[in-house]
Amino acid sequence: MPGIKYKLILLSFLIILNQGCDWLELLPPDGLVVDEYWKSKEDVEATLLGAYQQFAEMDEKLFLYGELRGDMIRAIQAPNYQQLIKNSNIFSNNQLCDWEDFYKIINYCNSIIKLAPSVLKVDQTFTELQMTIFTSEAIFLRSLAYFYLVRIFKDVPYITEPTIDDNVDFFIEKAESEEILSFLIEDLNSIKNTTPPAYSSPLKSRARATKAAVNALLADISLWNFEYEQCISYIDEIEDSKLYFLMSTSTWFEIFLPGNSLEGIFELQFDGSGENNSMFDYTYNFNYYSASDHAIQLMDPEISGEQIRGPGSISGENLNFRIWKYAGAAADQTTTRSSALQEACNFIVYRYSDIQLMKAEALSQLGQFEEAEAIINEIRGRALLDPVKISSSPEAFEDFILNERAKELAFEGKRWYDLLRMGRRNNFSRKNDLIEIIIQDAPSTQKLVLASKLSNPLGWYLPIYESELERNLNLTQNPFYDNDL
Amino acid sequence: MKNRVHTVTFLALLFLACMAEIFAQGIVIRGQVTELETGEPIPGATVVEVDDNERVIKGTITDYNGNYALQITSIRNQLKYSFVGFENVTEEPANRTTINVQLSSSMIALEDVVVVAQVTDALSGINERDRASSAVKVDMSDISKLSVTSAADALQGQVTGLDIVSSGSPGSGAQIVIRGLGSLGDSRPLIVVDGIAQDISRSSDFDFGSADVEDLGALVSIAPQDIKSIEVLKDAASTAVWGSQGADGVLMITTNRGTKGKTKFDYNYKLTFNQSPPPIPMLDGNEYTMLMLEELHNSAGVFDLPPEIAFDPNYGDFYNYSANTDWISLITRTGVSHDHFFKLSGGGEKTQYYASVNSSNETGITLNEGYKRLTSRINLDYTLSRNLRFAVNFDFTNSYQDGNWYTNQDVTGDGNRERLTVRRMAYVKAPNMSVYEYNNSGKLTGEYFTPLESFQGDGEIFFNPVAVADLSERDTKTNRFQNSFVLRYRISKKFRFEETVSFQYEGRKLSIFLPYSAIGTDWLDDNVNNAREQNNHNQKISSRSLLIFVPLSNETHELSGRLMFQVDQYKSDFTQITTRNGSSISISDPSAGALVSNIRSGSSETRSLGSLLSVNYKLKDRYITSIILRADANSKFGSNNRLGFFPSISIAWRFSEEPILKSLSWLNDSKIRFSYGQSGKQPDQAYARHGIYDTPQNATYFDGNVVIPIQVQLANLKWQTIESYNLGIDMSFLKNRIFFTAEVYNKLTHDLLWENYDIPSSSGFDVIGWFNGGKVRNRGWESYMRYYPVKRKNFNVGVNFNISRNSNTFLEFPENFNNIRGEVVANGVFPRQANTGQPIGSFYGFIYQGVYPTNEDAFAKDKDGRFLLDANGNKIPMTFADGTFFQGGDAKYADVNHDGVIDIYDVQYLGDSNPEIIGGFGSNISYKKFRASFQFLFRTGFEIVNEIAMDTEGMLNRNNQSKAVLHRWRRSGQGVDDSYILPRAFYLHPANNLGSDRYVEKGDFLRLNNLSIGYSLRNNSFVRRINIDELEVSMNMRKILTYTNYTGQDPEISQRMEDPFWFGTDNGLSPTPRVYSLIFNVRF
Repeated sequence: MPGIKYKLILLSFLIILNQGCDWLELLPPDGLVVDEYWKSKEDVEATLLGAYQQFAEMDEKLFLYGELRGDMIRAIQAPNYQQLIKNSNIFSNNQLCDWEDFYKIINYCNSIIKLAPSVLKVDQTFTELQMTIFTSEAIFLRSLAYFYLVRIFKDVPYITEPTIDDNVDFFIEKAESEEILSFLIEDLNSIKNTTPPAYSSPLKSRARATKAAVNALLADISLWNFEYEQCISYIDEIEDSKLYFLMSTSTWFEIFLPGNSLEGIFELQFDGSGENNSMFDYTYNFNYYSASDHAIQLMDPEISGEQIRGPGSISGENLNFRIWKYAGAAADQTTTRSSALQEACNFIVYRYSDIQLMKAEALSQLGQFEEAEAIINEIRGRALLDPVKISSSPEAFEDFILNERAKELAFEGKRWYDLLRMGRRNNFSRKNDLIEIIIQDAPSTQKLVLASKLSNPLGWYLPIYESELERNLNLTQNPFYDNDL
Repeated sequence: MKNRVHTVTFLALLFLACMAEIFAQGIVIRGQVTELETGEPIPGATVVEVDDNERVIKGTITDYNGNYALQITSIRNQLKYSFVGFENVTEEPANRTTINVQLSSSMIALEDVVVVAQVTDALSGINERDRASSAVKVDMSDISKLSVTSAADALQGQVTGLDIVSSGSPGSGAQIVIRGLGSLGDSRPLIVVDGIAQDISRSSDFDFGSADVEDLGALVSIAPQDIKSIEVLKDAASTAVWGSQGADGVLMITTNRGTKGKTKFDYNYKLTFNQSPPPIPMLDGNEYTMLMLEELHNSAGVFDLPPEIAFDPNYGDFYNYSANTDWISLITRTGVSHDHFFKLSGGGEKTQYYASVNSSNETGITLNEGYKRLTSRINLDYTLSRNLRFAVNFDFTNSYQDGNWYTNQDVTGDGNRERLTVRRMAYVKAPNMSVYEYNNSGKLTGEYFTPLESFQGDGEIFFNPVAVADLSERDTKTNRFQNSFVLRYRISKKFRFEETVSFQYEGRKLSIFLPYSAIGTDWLDDNVNNAREQNNHNQKISSRSLLIFVPLSNETHELSGRLMFQVDQYKSDFTQITTRNGSSISISDPSAGALVSNIRSGSSETRSLGSLLSVNYKLKDRYITSIILRADANSKFGSNNRLGFFPSISIAWRFSEEPILKSLSWLNDSKIRFSYGQSGKQPDQAYARHGIYDTPQNATYFDGNVVIPIQVQLANLKWQTIESYNLGIDMSFLKNRIFFTAEVYNKLTHDLLWENYDIPSSSGFDVIGWFNGGKVRNRGWESYMRYYPVKRKNFNVGVNFNISRNSNTFLEFPENFNNIRGEVVANGVFPRQANTGQPIGSFYGFIYQGVYPTNEDAFAKDKDGRFLLDANGNKIPMTFADGTFFQGGDAKYADVNHDGVIDIYDVQYLGDSNPEIIGGFGSNISYKKFRASFQFLFRTGFEIVNEIAMDTEGMLNRNNQSKAVLHRWRRSGQGVDDSYILPRAFYLHPANNLGSDRYVEKGDFLRLNNLSIGYSLRNNSFVRRINIDELEVSMNMRKILTYTNYTGQDPEISQRMEDPFWFGTDNGLSPTPRVYSLIFNVRF
């Protein structure tokens, strides 16, 4: 009798031990684990949209990076950390120095680029063409993220492998910005013909990467590198596609409301219900920022005679000079957007007038002044301004185009990079003009010290975030900020 | 063929047995049970019929005249006669029908029956006397009379190597650390109640923003009167039986059980008053206004006088801003608690029972905080036969913690968000503001004064603490239920089998509500009528099969072994809903038609398997060896690292039993012991190892679904292992009147588990869920002594003393680990470093040297005291890192490198937060009916960062400050011969309140932890007349005296190593109160 008991006990032990291994394999009830993901084309597209969404969620950051250190906005009730940057009081613990959001996009894109080809084998409905398009979009988004990073921080880690598990090397050193840009140009050129010129709807053609978007980004990078011929050739390709036009004078404000106009090349999409743009809060609701004195001088119809873009860009009612593009329902400055649309304005990354002015800049730098002037006068004409005759020198054109871009692309997150191009051009020959703009918001007692410090161009870039330096011993701080700590 | 013969025989025997039963039917045995000595009949004596296996078949109880009648089933069975206080008698009925029995009274006193020897620990099979590993058992029979509300309170200062820091808010548990911090995050020991591990696990997406740290650390809510003993297992050889969970030590709690005998009732009532230690004296409204005017004037020169501090009677809110409100005393009160405990226990031959009910109702020292608890427990033991017994335990706890709403905000401007409780706010709130609103003619409106924007800032951050305490809710309701079933079967003389099945359930509901009227905010704001409800359900089922074999047991050899197999399954889920802008300030239910802020839910499941083999061998009662091998597998790990193997060995030599020493009459049981062992720790979250893809909050973008990676897969996650060595000696002298024990230990933590380990965000993630890396060592010594100088019938004196020392060191950091944190020097910040070879909890900062008396003093000097000169021969002003020049009245810090700049290079080591020596001593005295005891507790050799002083003496923001700032620098020249003067008030000064030794204080303290006096009435004619066995009244005081140089409220600061940069700060959130209680105890 007892013998049977032992055998039974022993047997049940063995059964449990045998089944133990499976019994201990538990999967989380929410979400999908890596092994279950990357099984269908829907999975690939869902993560790709995650990268777009992540970019869209950064709208206020893209605005701040592109405008804070420029001269077009004035801080009213902006949070302290933003004001510190505005006043050139920059320390590495400023949360705006955190680049994590960009690298999230980069990681999503890296995952798609690496893992989408393996989905082809599992999902029969996933075509090679579809896969190539998704991958090309991912490369476009990754390149755009890196281009922002290079313009904001200069040298940054260049990572093309996805972070899948903890065997990945997390401690990547910085790469030279020039090197990163050359990789970007190579990547973008390779996807130029695999990115569709247009999608099923005009809306989608502005929400997703198109061939024109790739060309616009290439043109932007080339201009940043002062490679004018290439810049012009990329823009020519966009013009040749005949898909994009300048909106007419009367429909100018439709670029911003409802958005996704014929002029738009790549816009981050918001619907105001769930996907909310922060710009209405920043420029109207919370009253963080308003137009600067410089912007008012450039655009106030009473001062400069700007009719279309002036009231369309800034509202002068009660002398509060609110930024109008993100808040207004029309260019007439009388009504704000209806509440459903308040947070629905798109953030425009590239539009036709932007690349036209890029082209004018490239042409004028190459000495092709007449063609450049024609483009400028077309943009001005659209804004109901008289044509101008600019004296034939690259500097005169540079100044004129800077002002024209400031007016045309006001508050669209472009100004700081335009100024940086000016400061860097021709071996920093005009850097003092840039420094003067940077220090204008600094406290008067510190202006002189700051001006001499900023003659080092490294000070034009943001420092690496303190916690990032603490986490990655292989990173070195931008030397400009080393002594401040 | 042979089988068939067996079967036939078996059936035949069965038939015969039945026949015998039938034949026996109707045999009735009668008789009388009397007392041998007096011949008096014994009413209520037990008479039972038992078979050969001592299985109780039938039973009865004698009547008032001691007569009984019992119909027995078989004449071959025996009859057993018993009564409490008498020796048992067994009779064979044979052919008799009348059996009269005389019982003789036993020598055992009634009291001693209560003590049933807990012979061995079921899992290791080692009894207490033979133990070679490090463990301490504390008998709670005395302690239960103290006014403690938890087991942790009772243990504080009593056990070597056990550091307990109690908490001031009612219902929140104490911090318990055994032998130093060995794990990151939570070094809480495993708690085992009656052999069942009380796990606290959690869902991977559990919202920690809303969970208290204390919630997780709370000791299992058992009524202290139910606890029979607590055993503290300290080294890995003793915790090895708990393998995968015992890394940070084990607290084994044994509850009382029923004993054979007359039913006993016990009622206990405690009335307790909790008194807050004196608060830090704060400025009144007038002093505050003066300070603010000065602060603004110093910083801005000429400024527009804000109307709130301008004393302008024409200002609309003049009456609201001209009060002298003492916010702290308004939210502080004396806490009162009532504790009722009732138990009944007893039992007969077959069944023993123990049942108790405890109700406890406590009001906290902070307004509208409190704790209510109702627990009940039933422990049943049933003896079916000598071979088969089972036990059932059942306990239920219902508790209700009444708290106040709080928020996480940065109020001091140092960039750190901290928990802003009602008490914290009472410290910083402007005292010139009134509690209730006045209209502009000075009439009270009856509303709380909660402006949208006050002089201090946002009305949501700088809320009215009285209004929030009165109107807000933060209530936690918990139901805990546990049921366990133990079956013990003696297979044969050498084999025994034990099966334990247990079920644990905990349901917890947290409700938070913040009505519009409690804070100053726009009525569309997110915080308006903000309501949250969160429900958690946790359940655990575990079963354990244990096979015990004793192949050899005689005079010289004792060999036993155990084989155990264990299966655990743990499930947890939660739902949470937060809504805002509800329609009424009196509807706190989030479902009442408001806007939904968020809805969250999650669930998790963990499974684990464990097995254990242990062998114990003892030779001649002198040489003792024990080997334990335990293996665990857990679903939290991937298949590559799933199995953890935890061996241990311990050996002991009982030298007092050696023939040479045995003759020494003064030496009693004494032994030397050594042990080595390993135990493990696993991550808290169930699914940490998986790489997870999920939808973000906005599940769609443009026209499609969004799914993104949210968690990095962990391919390298493994067990954290603690390896420990222990060498100890136990000695008893003079008929056990002196007991002494001493131990040295070395505890090494390998593959330290880091939760949410920071990785460079260039990877696209902030953190990886868990990471193994680094090594921590805790080593030290412990000593304990107990002495009974007087041991007589009516007079007993016992003294005890314990002391232990632990030093904690980081031996190794993970690769790529940056050991410097926080290079930005700023107000309120201590730069931190963690160095290998140094204890954790070290902090660094500036050396504070008072103030600069005049502007002329604020120039840089070289190391010989000469002024530094620039190229033009001008004196160089002292400068702060951000370029600010120091001036007269500013804080003066040592310019260590004499470069004229106060920056990170002037930072010095200031101290560490690990107590070096902890211990306690005390005495128990009983004289006739009086009983007195006291216990002291000490902790020395550590520094505290007095954060509350830092916040209330900085004078650089609009927060209220302590009375200490009345002695501040106000005019040039002050402070020459006055080293106690504080710097000048200066709004937003960048450097006047840097992390410096100004706020670092020694935390050493000696505290009278317990003082208790009791008077007991027993065998007294009065109590006898009302049928009461014992009546006792006692007085108890806790934490009433503290000897310390620390200037803050309470030097008892908890240890909790969130990361290697951790250090202990006193933020004054909930100071431990002084406790006075009156206890009334009656037994009948």
